[in-house]
Amino acid sequence: MAEKNRSKTDAQNAGDRLVASHVREDPFAAAFKATRMSMIVTDPSQDDNPIIFCNASFEKLTGYSSDELVGRNCRLLQGPETDKNTVARIREAVGAGRDIAVDILNYRKDGSTFWNALFLSPVRDDEGRIVYFFASQLDFTNVKSREAELASARHQAENEVAKNTADLRAALAAKTLLVHEVDHRVKNNLLTMASIVKLQARTTKDERQRHTLMAVLNRVEALSTVQRKLFTLDDISRFDVADFARELVTDLIGGIGRDDIHLTLDLQPLYVPAVKATPLSLIVNELVGDAVRRGLSDGGGEIHVVVKRLNGHFLIRVEDTVEPVQPDPESAEFSRLLLEASAQQLGAHIERSSQGRKTTVEVTLLVDEHRENEH
Amino acid sequence: MKVMIVEDEMLLAMELESEVEAAGHEVIGVAMSSHQARDLLSASRPDFAFVDIHLMDGPTGIDVGRRLAEARVPFVFVSGNIKRLPDDFVGALGAIEKPYTVNGMKNALQYISAVLSGVDDLAPPPSLVLAGDIQPPTVRRHA
Repeated sequence: MAEKNRSKTDAQNAGDRLVASHVREDPFAAAFKATRMSMIVTDPSQDDNPIIFCNASFEKLTGYSSDELVGRNCRLLQGPETDKNTVARIREAVGAGRDIAVDILNYRKDGSTFWNALFLSPVRDDEGRIVYFFASQLDFTNVKSREAELASARHQAENEVAKNTADLRAALAAKTLLVHEVDHRVKNNLLTMASIVKLQARTTKDERQRHTLMAVLNRVEALSTVQRKLFTLDDISRFDVADFARELVTDLIGGIGRDDIHLTLDLQPLYVPAVKATPLSLIVNELVGDAVRRGLSDGGGEIHVVVKRLNGHFLIRVEDTVEPVQPDPESAEFSRLLLEASAQQLGAHIERSSQGRKTTVEVTLLVDEHRENEH
Repeated sequence: MKVMIVEDEMLLAMELESEVEAAGHEVIGVAMSSHQARDLLSASRPDFAFVDIHLMDGPTGIDVGRRLAEARVPFVFVSGNIKRLPDDFVGALGAIEKPYTVNGMKNALQYISAVLSGVDDLAPPPSLVLAGDIQPPTVRRHA
């Protein structure tokens, strides 16, 4: 106790000396005492670097009187929640005689806390020796609590977003599952329809009826292929007419099983919205089917299929060179109806020309870029 | 060849059977579930099998495929969604995607038959996706 009283007296004396070295009306000392900024001075030459002077604002901030503060080390402002690392950084700066600006949680006399923006700096004499430490404190608890509020609000928002994202993912997964299920059923139903037609075609004794059923089957299969191709793309709303044409014509030639059919292709990827997939595919199917009926399957020949973009148009062209046979008029009429209806739906233009054994049918369709991009 | 058909839709199985027979092959049986497939397999050994993925007892076609691969019976999957197959097709030669066409099935069968009898310089028809040919999804851009 006597020891403590002595050091307190030393600190008090040091403070008195500091004040005495300034004349009474020294404006700097007056400012120091009166400013709203809390300030203290400590004396590192004394044991434990005690406070030797504090201003009224510091007393007000901490709740301690000058009497209670002088002679004590600043650590009396620390408490259980004060960050140990921050304390260590301050100690290190003091030890090294460096400036430091840190944010630290401090405790008042009544035990309440405040966030202190501490600035601490050594004061040197003419020889450069450290004679005092000067420290200023700024209570920024309000700012800190606003920060905390913001952080909490952000955290809440992030949680909300995470939850919504999870909900959306679940909804998307459910939708995807549904789309897969519906797609599966559509495919199975198309194949079942084809099987029913095939079964009847196999059962009938009437050649003409069989012929008609196979003609129906051919169109059902064209639609089946569209459905299959539509879902192979990652973007199910787009459909490649060239890919469809390649499969249709290659499978057809393979199915006919003649070695004397010479097939050439000029195909470029031609993506169209899903709504146009069916009529465009029927057009390709009718054009190729027409060549087959006019003699390709009877006596072989050449067939050249073009699907590409040309001068802002979609172009589908089928050229064949065959030994012509008279096609069944009913089949030809039916095919022409399908072709024209599909072309009309698309606003496409059909042009047919013949030169000797060579027939060329060209279907052109103006690309509506604007509408195309909507899909 | 002696062909086994694993398919739970009877109508599809019947039509496939008649197409297989029309191509000059023999169908040794139709299985509608993985159990029937197992029974059929233990009774006779086919040269080849068509295997649907969704059977009467669920998506058990994959297991049937594994069993066939163990027994070294060549087979293809026939399915509406071949993208759901494991990457290695569990040992299948390939897959035919539903809904297949008469020509598509005919060409696939012809190719398979040729390959199994030792012909190895044929190009597969578009209707048959060979194992290992499944491409990773690519982003398609506007044409």
